Amino acid sequence: MQQQSILLLFLAIAGIAAFVFTYIFVSSKKATQAAQGMSNPLKKRFWFSLILFVILGIFATATIPNSPYYLFANETPAKVVHVSARQFEFILSKKAIDPKNPSGEDNIELPVNKLVEFRVTSLDVNHGFAIYNSSLRLITQVQAMPGYVNRLRYKFKEPGKYDILCLEYCGMAHSFMRSSFIVK
Amino acid sequence: MESTKLKKITSVWIITVLTLFIVSIVLGILMRLNQGGIIQQSPITFYSNMTTHGLTMIGIWFVAGMAAVNYLMQRYVKTSFAVNVIALVFTVIGVLMLWTSTFIGKFHAAWTFLYPLPFKETGATTWATLLFLASLTVLGIGWLIWSISLMTQILKKYSISQTFAWQHLKKNPRVETPPFILITMITLIGVITCLLAAVVLLALFYAEYFSNGNFINDALLMKNLTYFFGHTIANEMLYLGLAVIYELFSEVSGRPKWKTTWYVALAWNFTLVFILTAFFHHLYMDFVQPEGLQIVGQLASYLASLPAAGVTVFSVFIAVYRTKIKWSLTNLLFFIGVAGWVIGGLGAVIDSTISNNVVLHNTLWVPAHFTPITLWGMCYLVLDFSTGSPLNLRKTVK
Repeated sequence: MQQQSILLLFLAIAGIAAFVFTYIFVSSKKATQAAQGMSNPLKKRFWFSLILFVILGIFATATIPNSPYYLFANETPAKVVHVSARQFEFILSKKAIDPKNPSGEDNIELPVNKLVEFRVTSLDVNHGFAIYNSSLRLITQVQAMPGYVNRLRYKFKEPGKYDILCLEYCGMAHSFMRSSFIVK
Repeated sequence: MESTKLKKITSVWIITVLTLFIVSIVLGILMRLNQGGIIQQSPITFYSNMTTHGLTMIGIWFVAGMAAVNYLMQRYVKTSFAVNVIALVFTVIGVLMLWTSTFIGKFHAAWTFLYPLPFKETGATTWATLLFLASLTVLGIGWLIWSISLMTQILKKYSISQTFAWQHLKKNPRVETPPFILITMITLIGVITCLLAAVVLLALFYAEYFSNGNFINDALLMKNLTYFFGHTIANEMLYLGLAVIYELFSEVSGRPKWKTTWYVALAWNFTLVFILTAFFHHLYMDFVQPEGLQIVGQLASYLASLPAAGVTVFSVFIAVYRTKIKWSLTNLLFFIGVAGWVIGGLGAVIDSTISNNVVLHNTLWVPAHFTPITLWGMCYLVLDFSTGSPLNLRKTVK
């Protein structure tokens, strides 16, 4: 899962960094008065910076096209769900929600392996519309903002129950703000 | 004597910072105990503690950096003692106002105080929000006076192009810009800019507060302003620390003093651009934000690591590698502090990747990346600065 690969990447590069700092410190402890320090420092600095630049370039090129703004951008969603968030509930509906008289449906059902679009807004403060799978693993999210509609597109590959938890601190009952839907 | 007065007030700053740090740590421990189910706090108490903890922590490391920079700046230009005192007084008053709004008034809109949450808190007293905004105003005024004063003093001795070290981009510059001056100038530009953004942000908050419903702010604009201020001040806090490192590390390690070279000048000039544009990475999950700005956020966040690693961190490596150094608590803390920044920075670069941010945004990954930076980096720097040769807190405080 994505979180695991991110964690492994972090542990790997943090481990390398910790090793490098330790190695350099130990080299100083072992150095005698006559020790020469680093040879060709400018050349090494140049190569270090160039390699770092190339690595960053590769990551940027590989990841930017996978940003949520571009995913499924040219497809038509099979289902649209309207979401209005407010302190402290998520209102979900297959129809547009009237902000003056907001009401929704329980037991929203969405199709598996088809494109779903959530149109998310807020009736009061910023909330976080965050979707978790049945293992309570975060799979995607978008902000719910007052005065704006954010469109989140997603294809659910697994059927089952999905939870929505608020992922933007929104006041004293923030941790109780949740909802759910079924994917079939 | 001027230097004794400056030593004394810097000691007061450090002691104030460390005292506030301990209070903040206690709040942090209480929050963790609550999350672990060992104690039971009401949600409002938890969240108002969270508000206090977050803002106090960021504030104290920022002023610690400013105080250290002010102290070292006296080596190059005259600094104003009166302004230093004004900043201290405003900071203490501002913190006390903040704590009153949270501890007593139960203001609990978090350290991000993200509009419009401060206006939609149930359970807080009616005066708490106004007092909170006023506390930020007091802090902001004190810090703005301080940073403008320091920048003015630099500009009395160095021309603008010299403060940017542009003459170092050519061969054989006639005037040398010390790295400390270059970095401080670049950092102060960022500090003043983000504080001015905070002025606009607060003005908009006040306008809505006093408008009786006739003026409603735009949530996206307020979010951009909030994160431009918040991210930039936290980032600049770090760079104030780097200014101190460039000035002191070679000194406390018995190495030749670091000089500005063409690549140091280039790196820091680019850093200014990256620092002022990286803040967009806080809005990745606001899909209504223009896409171009989202991409700028990722690119600026990535690129900011290049001068940091290729110039600053590598210079520390060069100074230490296979070089006999008399290791003491002082230079060891600097070295370990830099390692802390690097590890926090790695977490930051990963999170600033938009496609990763989808599963990391607003999760514990965020404090996990900034805690090594603040706890490990800035804490070590402050302890270091206080015990090391320039200030030697133990000698100054009787």
